[in-house]
This record gives sequence, C-alpha cells and structure tokens, in this order.
Amino acid sequence: MPFWRGCSRRQGLKDAESMGAYIVKRLAALVVTALLTSVVVFLLVRSVPGDVVGQMLGQTSDPVAAKALREFFGLDQPVWQQYLGWLGRVITGDFGTSWTRGQPVLGMVGSALAVTVQLAFATLLLATLIGVPLGILAAIYEGRMLDRLIQCFNLLGLAAPVFWIGLMLLFGVSTGFDWSPPLMYVPPSEALGENLSIMALPVLSLALLQAAAYSQFVRQNIVSALGQDYVRTAIAKGLPVRSIFFTHLLRNIAIPLVTFMGLILIQILGGAVIIESLFALPGLGRLLLSSIETRDYPVLQAGLLVVVVIAMLVNLVVDLSYRIIDPRVQLS
Amino acid sequence: MLGLVLLAFVLVVVAFPGLFTGHSPLTVNVDKALEAPSSAHLFGTDDVGRDVLARVVHGARITLSICASALVLAAVIGGALGLFSGFVGGRIDMLLGRLVDVILSFPPIIFGVMVTGILGPKTLNLVFALTVVYVPLFFRIARSGAMSEAGMTYVEAARSLGLSQSRILLRHVVRNVLPIVLVQCMVLFPLVLQIQAALGFLGLGVQPPTPDWGAILQQGKDYILLAPWMSAFPGLAILITALALTLVGRGLQRRMDRR
Repeated sequence: MPFWRGCSRRQGLKDAESMGAYIVKRLAALVVTALLTSVVVFLLVRSVPGDVVGQMLGQTSDPVAAKALREFFGLDQPVWQQYLGWLGRVITGDFGTSWTRGQPVLGMVGSALAVTVQLAFATLLLATLIGVPLGILAAIYEGRMLDRLIQCFNLLGLAAPVFWIGLMLLFGVSTGFDWSPPLMYVPPSEALGENLSIMALPVLSLALLQAAAYSQFVRQNIVSALGQDYVRTAIAKGLPVRSIFFTHLLRNIAIPLVTFMGLILIQILGGAVIIESLFALPGLGRLLLSSIETRDYPVLQAGLLVVVVIAMLVNLVVDLSYRIIDPRVQLS
Repeated sequence: MLGLVLLAFVLVVVAFPGLFTGHSPLTVNVDKALEAPSSAHLFGTDDVGRDVLARVVHGARITLSICASALVLAAVIGGALGLFSGFVGGRIDMLLGRLVDVILSFPPIIFGVMVTGILGPKTLNLVFALTVVYVPLFFRIARSGAMSEAGMTYVEAARSLGLSQSRILLRHVVRNVLPIVLVQCMVLFPLVLQIQAALGFLGLGVQPPTPDWGAILQQGKDYILLAPWMSAFPGLAILITALALTLVGRGLQRRMDRR
C-alpha cells in the first residue's frame, strides 16, 4: 500500500464513504441483535410461572381481581400479540409505565443509567491511572523484583471476588479511619462532595480488579513489542529511550489497548450489578435486580435492552477507533 | 508449581472435609453467635453460632461441583454445537452464530442474574444459567477448530477414502479439537467460580443454610462491621481457589502453545 494513501483528497472522500457504509451496516446488525435479544427476554420472562399479578395479590388471591389485573396489564393476550404491541410502542419511544411503581420506564432507566455511567467511567479512569503505569513499570523491570511484585498484585487482583474486595474495604475504612460512606445516594449535581464520598468505595473496589487486568495486559503487550524489529531499529539508531517508548511503542500498542478498554467497560457494567447491590447505589444493576424480583416486565425489558445496546455500541466505537489510530486498518 | 500445590490442597479439602474440621456446617448454637476466631473456632462463628471454618470447608465441595458441572455441560453442549456448526456450515451455522451473538452481547454476570432471577434461585437453575453463559465461548472455540480442521489434508484424505462425514467428525476432528476445549475449561474455571459466587452473593444462587461460598458471603454482608471473619474467610477461599486455577490454566495454555 502506498505511503501517501489517505493524503489525497479523493482517497479521503472514498474512505469517508466506506466508513459511512460500514457504520450503517454495523448499526443495522446492532438493531437485529437488539431485536433478537428482546424476543429472547420477552419469551424467557413469560415462560416461567408467576407474574406481577401473583406478586401483587399474594398466594390467596381473588380470581376475579387477578383476571381483571391481567387484562389491565395485557397479560391475557397471546405472547406474540403482547410482543408486537410492546415493540410498536418502543419504536415510537414509549417504553411504558412501571407496573409496580407507576412511573414512566424511560425516566427510571435514565436516572439509573446516569448512576451506572458515572460509576463505570470513574472506574475506567481510576483503573487506567493505576493499571497502565503498573504495566509499563513491570515491562521495564521485566524479570526483576518490581515486576514480580506487580505480577503478584495482578494475580491477586484478578482472583479476588469484587464484592469481597468491597466488603473488606468497607471494614477497612470503618475500623482504620473510623469513617463509613453515607447510606443515601446523592447525585453529583446536588452535592458533589457527598456524591464522591458515596462513590469512592464502589469505584475503588471495581477499579482494583480492572487495574490488575489492565496492568497484566499492558505488560504483556510491551514485553512482546520490545522484541520487535522496529524497537531494535530505534535502539540501534540511538533514539532516547523516552522517545522509543512514547512515540513508537505506545503507538503500536494503542489498538490492543483500546480494544481492552472496551472489554473492561463492558466488564465494569457487569460488575456494577454486584457493587451497586452491595453499596445500595440506585444504578441500572439494582434496577434490573428489583424488576426481576417484582416481575416488573416493562422495566426489565427496557433495562436489558439498554444494557445490550450499550455493550454493542462500545464494541462499535472500539472498532471505529482502530481506524482513527491506524488509517491502514480496513473496516469490514 | 505454586498453582499445582494450591490446587492439590483445594482438592484435598473437597475430598476430605473431615480432615480440617470436626464441626458440622449446619449445627446452630445461638449461645455462641458471632464469636471471634479462637482455638475452638479457628474462623470464628456466624450469626447463629455455626462454625465458619466448617462452613467454608464443606462449602468447597458444593461451590466447586456446581462450577465444574456447569463447565462440563457448557463444554459438551457448546463444543458439540460448535463442531457441528463449523463442519456443516451454511444456514445452520449462521443461525447458531446469531443466537450465540445474542448471549455474548450481555455481560456474563447480567445474563446470569437474568436467568437465575427469572427461573428462581435453585441450584439446578444456577447450573443452567452458568452453562448457558459459557456455551457460546465453547461454541466459538470448537467451531473455529472444526473449520480449520475441515480444510486439513487428513480430512480430505479421509473423505477420499470414502469415510462418512459423521465418522470423520467424531473420529478425527473431535480428537484434534478436544485438547483445546479441555485447556479452555481450566482457563474459564476461575471465571465461572467468580460468577457463581457473585450470584450466590446476590441471593440468586444456592440458598441458605447450605454452605455455598457466595451464600456465606451474602449472610456475612450484614455483619461486616460486627463480625468481619464471616466474610473474610469464605472470600479468601474463593481467592485461593481462583488463584490456583488461574495458575494451572495458564501453565496448561503455555504448554499447548509451545506444541
């Protein structure tokens, strides 16, 4: 491939076109998967005994009232009819009302999502700040004491259950510093200081695990890159170590690093379910758990749909960023 | 090496729990509730006076057998489907691939929460959920294995000898894909353990009073400031087991890559 590729205007336009087509194709695949997911979720929740009416009325329910309630929720219709009705409303942006709380589903999912997104990005930031430098250090001191220590941290961090780290941190700060986090969640727009003190322990417990994964990944990539010809050439040319590191090495591990960040973000989304329940944060994970418990189908369906779409969007952004980092990458 | 020693230790605990504790994991003794670790109760006692050491030791068998059976089921089902799909190709391959994409588009823990939450917290449902979560991974491995094997000369040779498709698949391809699947089992085991424990911790796994590690941690959660030993030791048990499995899994993988 000629080195001036991407420099000419015509080529640039052509690239933009193919990029547009690529994004459209990926978004179409995303919609298909989201639809399939919604079908699976819809069938799954309706295939088991017990529904919201049973939950509301209890064991000894009046059959007349139960029948009326089922009609009210549309549960008396065949499943496919319920699904098409739901889908039709979702397409117009109407996710319905929560069956147990009577609030609009969209608002509930939105405010829960805000909490989880804050948790996820704070964790990603902290994990990157801890993990990447540790990985670089370990790679520089490969085989020596510092490397071994960092590798120990990685192994332990990956083996420890995230909720256990959370519990131990909770115990540690309350005995060591005589401090415990506030119990009621406050959004950052209301009181930033209090919000941060609530978020501190959940973020730290999630970040320790991900930092370990990060550091291991960065170390592995740098160590294998150090053996490559371009690094040897750079050393032979007499380039200063710093420039080899920052202009050559980091650039070359940028693609795997971005992929990894995407993976980590999705992992954090999963970990958030556990951590939110431990620290009583009103995030998406807790919303999903409570909607499963109460069989609040509209909330559950919307929440799961949001999770899947986010996970797939993260993957799409990751793939697109390859192209920005390295224009040689062909999107297909 | 450390991994093997730790794993051997864990296996001894699983096989002979009686060697490590004389207490029953289920005997309630309210007079002795929330006692700190002592010579009588090395790991202390829980909120109803049960010996935490006994619960952790006896829990090993329950927790690990759930993980192992889910893994084996996932490997068999995912492996078989993957082999079939990769070897046959065409529409079936595409359909199965799409289904797998759906499962993989969820973070595993959320899928696990969904399945156990909807089906109800029972041990059988837990095994089912963990199996479903890991079927796609084995499917992909076996599928790509089968596809690369299908193009090999020995398959072509077998075909030209007039062997039937199913015979080639079962006799030859399986034999070559099996080691990859087995190593993957070891590599995935610590992840399954983490998710199993997390579901237990959320109350969606094994139900009390059965001593499952995640379930013990769930009970300990409310007493974390009063009786941290209730949480510390089962968590350590998970950590040590996951560490052992990770080390052994990595060793196996390295050995296979060298070949």
